[in-house]
Amino acid sequence: MYKSITGKIFEELKHVTDKEYILTDEYNKDIYSKDNTEDLKYYPDVIIRPGSTSEISKILKIANFYKIPVTPRGGGTGLSGGSLPVFGGICLSLERMNKILEIDENNFQITAEPGVITEVLQSECEKRGLFYPVDPASKGSCFIGGNLAESSGGPRAVKYGTTKDYVLSIEVVLPSGEILNLGTNTLKNVSGYNLTQLIIGSEGTLGIITRITLRLTALPKFRKVALIAYDDIYKCISSVAEIFKQGLIPSALEFMERDAIKTAEEHLSKVYPNSDAEAQLLVEFDGNNEEVIFADIEKCALISEKYDAADVIMAEDTSKIEEIWSLRRAVGESVKNISVYMEEDTVVPRFRLPDLLIGVKEICTMYGIRAICYGHAGDGNLHINILKDGLSDDEWEFKTAKAIPEIFKLTVRLGGSISGEHGIGLTQKKYLNIAVQEKVILLMKEIKKIFDPNNILNPGKIFDL
Amino acid sequence: MKIVVCVSLVPDSTTKIKISDDGKSIDESGVTFIINPYDEYAVEESVQLKEKKGAETYAISFGTQKHKEAIKKAFQMGIDKGILIQTESDNYDSYTVAKNLAEAIKEINPDIIFFGKQSIDFDGLTVPGMVGELLGIPSVNVVTKIEYGDNLLTLEREIEGGKEVITTSIPAVIGTQKGLNTPRYPNLKSIMASKSKPIDEKKATYSGNATNVTEMKLPESKGKGKILTEGVKSVPELVNLLRNEAKVI
Repeated sequence: MYKSITGKIFEELKHVTDKEYILTDEYNKDIYSKDNTEDLKYYPDVIIRPGSTSEISKILKIANFYKIPVTPRGGGTGLSGGSLPVFGGICLSLERMNKILEIDENNFQITAEPGVITEVLQSECEKRGLFYPVDPASKGSCFIGGNLAESSGGPRAVKYGTTKDYVLSIEVVLPSGEILNLGTNTLKNVSGYNLTQLIIGSEGTLGIITRITLRLTALPKFRKVALIAYDDIYKCISSVAEIFKQGLIPSALEFMERDAIKTAEEHLSKVYPNSDAEAQLLVEFDGNNEEVIFADIEKCALISEKYDAADVIMAEDTSKIEEIWSLRRAVGESVKNISVYMEEDTVVPRFRLPDLLIGVKEICTMYGIRAICYGHAGDGNLHINILKDGLSDDEWEFKTAKAIPEIFKLTVRLGGSISGEHGIGLTQKKYLNIAVQEKVILLMKEIKKIFDPNNILNPGKIFDL
Repeated sequence: MKIVVCVSLVPDSTTKIKISDDGKSIDESGVTFIINPYDEYAVEESVQLKEKKGAETYAISFGTQKHKEAIKKAFQMGIDKGILIQTESDNYDSYTVAKNLAEAIKEINPDIIFFGKQSIDFDGLTVPGMVGELLGIPSVNVVTKIEYGDNLLTLEREIEGGKEVITTSIPAVIGTQKGLNTPRYPNLKSIMASKSKPIDEKKATYSGNATNVTEMKLPESKGKGKILTEGVKSVPELVNLLRNEAKVI
């Protein structure tokens, strides 16, 4: 159904983007064949690194005409295989479009190209006392464009929301090569269907985002972190909802079970306090009044005492705060290093978290598999890493094929969904119908066809047409 | 037993330092201050020793009111009493600091005096030695291991290519180096308890600096790094740049 890239098509592409930015060698094909999803690899036929919107428009016109699949790629840190070129074709890497175009200090807005690394964008804002709060774990290497494509979250979502809550306007190139301007740089806007939000989280299947304007807030002056240790994992997770019910609004509330902490400790070659506890919560408060923050942490500690917390330690200096956060950030990577794994990105209303955790543990016990759980407890987002450990390939295949749908069905029964922030991409599409009505999936497919009638843009993602 | 730990308040290591208009000091506006990181090893050692053997523990700091924060941090980690040797400004040299500290320490008459090996603001490494000299007692700096015997301490220092083992009688001054212990994170209970611990304030008795800062400058900023992108093909260019531009090979 797709055409391969003939010499003639290649010549056309070289007219658009300087050949220096077109890669076809095996070394680079290997690099661009993977992201952070399991050990999956799909090789593109060619990697193109365009430098402007108009180049992208021309490339898409060519690809659309010849029916060549185009897979857009940001920092390559995705966890559901969104940037894997499953049908080969063109890997369209946005890495050269990495300029911050404007920081509007009067209106608290930033306009950037999609290839800006999220942490770079954040620190440019912070230098000016402005704050872009969305803080995905991969912020040091992921791109802001990829964040929009996946509607990335991260730990601060509990107070500040996710990527979708900060996008004012975008420029998008359609598979036809047409360039759209969606949204306005105002805080309010009701003018027809909200296509901006349709593009956000569409995982690169509807258009290529080429310019982004985000709203910002003022940078809070202070933050403090507490690490609360519990000897009972269920009491730990049950205390989460209570913290909110008492009127507290933490800027992050993260859950880590012992295996997650132990693995991260080993990864960092560092010992943290209370790491033998069955589970811990990392609680962060930010704001402009240090005493209020301290009082909030104190309240949090009192609540945790009711749930038999064993100890509460605190970090106030930047370096100590970072040290504790580095533990949390190391969890994801280190857990993925110990074994072949599958990661599920479940999300439920946070009051149902204990039910989810109990259910997941039961399902794992039933099938004899090990799972390490951690995640953004404050917003009900629990990452479940299922580990192959010593299982044979057949056992692994068989057990995960049974256990994962059960975990997802449980998630949906609890009022949640199968992906909080990683997206459906390639690896989760077979489960989409567990969480989304058939008619809704049908509508999504119709929308896809309107945007991309030839199905050239990131084919094989979210659903099969 | 009595233990004294001397603590200092320094700019947070992640702070961007600016030179103030006089060209001789740093501009403190917008700077967050923390306890000197090496002092945390000293505080931890004091607290562990107290927990093992029982001791009266004192944290002493020299400086303006804001230096109370360093004492409070020591309180949070488990030190029980605090003394601030109060000054009007922070423009004092190591000698003045040492002289005032020695004076205060003499009154307490402790068995061991701990310091962080150096403060990360001026990096002088001088105060512990000066205090030992002024008190007429031994001082050993950059210590990574301590064994406590009866009236005798066995200390280890890392030296170029090996280790040095030193024994000393007490009282003694000991400067602590990273690796000696793992400073604890204060827990909420000790933070709450620290609020009622008293800080005794006394005026500095000596202010005649032996040295003066005449000028302060920021280091020249580094140029941007270069990234060579052609894999193996870039090696000749890399060698050329290292030899002729960076001049390191």
